[in-house]
Amino acid sequence: MQNLLEACAITKHFGATVALDAVDFSARAGEIHALLGQNGAGKTTLMNILAGHLRPDLGTVTLDGVAIKTASPQTALRAGIAAVHQSPMLFEHLSAVENLALGGFVRRGLALNEVAERAGAMARSLSFPVQLPPKNLTGLSLAQRMRLEILRALSFQPRVLMLDEPTGLLAPGELSGFLDLLRALRNRGCAVVFITHKLAEAMAVADRITMLRAGRVVDQTSPPQTTIEQLAALMLGNAVELARPKKSHRRGAEVLRLEGLSLEVDGVALVDEVSLRLHAGEILAIAGVDGNGQRELAEILACSRRPTSGQILLHGQPAGARAMGQIAVVPQNRDQEGLIPGMELWENLLLSPALRRQMQTAGVQRRSAAIALCSVLLKRFSIRARSPRQKAADLSGGHRQRLMIARALASRPAVLVAHDLTRGLDVSAAAEVSRIVREFADQGGAAIMISTDLDEVFGLGDRIAVISRGRLFEVPTANLTIERVGLLMAGVGQHR
Amino acid sequence: MSPVISATVKPLAAMAVAIGLLAIGLAALGANPAVTLTALLSGAFGDWLAVADTLLKATPLVFTGLSVSLAFSGSIWNIGAEGQLLFGALAATACGIHLARWSHVAAISAVLGAGAIAGALAGALCGWLRTRFSVNEVISTIMLNFIALQAVSWAVHGPLMEPSHSYPISQKLPAAACMHWFFPPSRLNCGLLLAIGLAPACYFWLYRTNSGFELRAVGRNPRATAFFGIAAGPITVVAMALSGGLAGLGGAVQVCAITQRLFERFSPGWGYEAIAVALVARLNPLAVVPSALFFGALDNGAQVIQRTQGVSPVLVQAAQGLIIFVLLAFDTPILARGRSATLPHHKQPADA
Ligand SMILES: Nc1ncnc2c1ncn2[C@@H]1O[C@H](COP(=O)(O)OP(=O)(O)OP(=O)(O)O)[C@@H](O)[C@H]1O
Ligand SMILES: [Mg+2]
Repeated sequence: MQNLLEACAITKHFGATVALDAVDFSARAGEIHALLGQNGAGKTTLMNILAGHLRPDLGTVTLDGVAIKTASPQTALRAGIAAVHQSPMLFEHLSAVENLALGGFVRRGLALNEVAERAGAMARSLSFPVQLPPKNLTGLSLAQRMRLEILRALSFQPRVLMLDEPTGLLAPGELSGFLDLLRALRNRGCAVVFITHKLAEAMAVADRITMLRAGRVVDQTSPPQTTIEQLAALMLGNAVELARPKKSHRRGAEVLRLEGLSLEVDGVALVDEVSLRLHAGEILAIAGVDGNGQRELAEILACSRRPTSGQILLHGQPAGARAMGQIAVVPQNRDQEGLIPGMELWENLLLSPALRRQMQTAGVQRRSAAIALCSVLLKRFSIRARSPRQKAADLSGGHRQRLMIARALASRPAVLVAHDLTRGLDVSAAAEVSRIVREFADQGGAAIMISTDLDEVFGLGDRIAVISRGRLFEVPTANLTIERVGLLMAGVGQHR
Repeated sequence: MSPVISATVKPLAAMAVAIGLLAIGLAALGANPAVTLTALLSGAFGDWLAVADTLLKATPLVFTGLSVSLAFSGSIWNIGAEGQLLFGALAATACGIHLARWSHVAAISAVLGAGAIAGALAGALCGWLRTRFSVNEVISTIMLNFIALQAVSWAVHGPLMEPSHSYPISQKLPAAACMHWFFPPSRLNCGLLLAIGLAPACYFWLYRTNSGFELRAVGRNPRATAFFGIAAGPITVVAMALSGGLAGLGGAVQVCAITQRLFERFSPGWGYEAIAVALVARLNPLAVVPSALFFGALDNGAQVIQRTQGVSPVLVQAAQGLIIFVLLAFDTPILARGRSATLPHHKQPADA
């Protein structure tokens, strides 16, 4: 088959870091090409180069055999190369339709309602449901934002569509629909480049698989000729223990109690009478389709949003502003809510109220202490960074995720709340982080894991609950099956 | 390019390009660029009196430049340093004329304090309006500039008018409230030292304290800071108060060190020029001092070439504007591209 897009000997350095080292890559029409690799392997950098966001130090990109000389996002889009980024790049203050209007639907003099119509038609023809809220994007879940961005990319009628970890936020039910979308695009003759950390997804959908490690292509294969185990070994360069940590059922004193927490916005209960008790040593996993009140629950626990009613008790005491240091939260939206990409790594640590309090005397930052702490955390969480003085934006997606987890645990909180804990982490890092959280619980911490990923929910949770339309249902261990949880997530069979 | 190098190289290159364009402009107008630029240089640094004048011209720019860089560091677009400076000068005059019997130190402190407080209140008002009613601070601070201009005009025609009531200027400040001139005939005074001392203080606040960190963090990513419980409101008001206070202090220093009285057209636009000063300094308070010196030298030299060469100072002002354009051009993807990344790796939406 003819190569549509071809990248030859691409090399890219960032200062002393070699992000890509003479990488060859190609995409063919009517093919799904999965790009795999550990965190920091160079996947996003490669995609950014193909999409014209970055210019390679060396190497050429050709489309239909014609070299793309002055690479820019505009020329790439005009040539038919569209990209969906790891964290959605949307205009928050614009409506969904306006965001789409900035995509490829717009020809001269196309009114917004026509854009909406065309977008709707396109979504329907691909059976790809997208919500289009009328005002701004504030209430939209991250998964919905990702869908919006995908639709915007599709609006350019791309010949090559590249997607950087689009599946991290999808619930199991949504995943198969999404993979069908990729297949539909392939069947229409589109070249699809698909970056993921879930090896099973690659095995299910890819025609070809390219594996990157430390900026080099280490293998090219295709699903029938390989297995998930082989891929994992190839990716990590050696065999690694990926087993989930053992659960423990030691239960300490009650740490956290939520009593009837509700959050109402415009008459809609986003969080609806959530009550729960959490003991030291316990991990509660909350499963749910993204956008069912998880984000709001996390915001309330982070004390950044006040519930309309109900209260939080910490060690039996009503938790006021002081609780902020005791409950450490890892937000879902890494780049918009979790980090300040333009600030240095050590400064990002100080976003945590507890660390900010620890690392100061009389309002003056203890800068060297904070930098030293950052160095320690970089090592302990294997974050690939040159120094604590680097900007957070310079880390790869997975390493930024690790930084957020490191920050949350560094303040030694009583309760850890993590929303999509392992999003963007490669398989070995995900296993490592799961182990670290288990350790945290074993040492007397209590943790709430909010996730859309049932494997993670079942692998990590001592107790399992489901959130749906803002309501929380704890699933008794007696009839705990993946099917039952899946049904509850879909909103079937809820009763109190 | 390392960040430190690019932060110094770009402004220097911008200045060089702007001066080059200025030379072309001079040639186009029929003046000899080499002669005129030499005259400009010697006007600014030719002898020690010229140097002293340059320093004096830079002093208010340091105050207002610090004011602007502080606010801008938190993405608070304070365009009101001009008005805050005028309020400061007004308060300093109103207070100073009554202090004839005070000791020198007490009177000076009171005058400077009054100026700083007046500027701080004007700034804080805009900060509060933004926090409480989401009033865009660009609009509120510009509006206050006009109000300040009118307030000064009203004061020198009314309550503060000099005793003979023949000129629209205020009464002269008593000697106790006037700063000492070190080396007459130059008017060098403590004001410059105060300004230079404030630069590291501002830097310290911005880069070494928790509240300075909070301001920068809120300015860069308000959603993240909101998630982690840093309230944007209070820090906005504090930053605007500090920013306004610095500009107001600049106005007070100008009154009690140089003019010794208030009059209409008190400021030639220090509060606006400050935006250029701060941008060339890349909002770094430490770099505001050399940046202000550069602009002060241009202002001073421009007056000299007008006298000696008959070249309009407007041309120099145009060159000052050009510097900003060139600096912005250096930051656009097309020119900034080269070997390094165009987009800050994982770029956020433009308006996030
Ligand atoms: N702008 C930059 N400045 C400095 N280093 C960078 C920059 N962008 C990327 N890097 C480095 O290049 C390497 C590759 O990063 P990249 O984002 O491509 O990884 P990735 O494969 O997408 O990883 P992940 O799975 O974690 O998203 C990383 O080590 C990263 O730290
Ligand atoms: Mg990536």
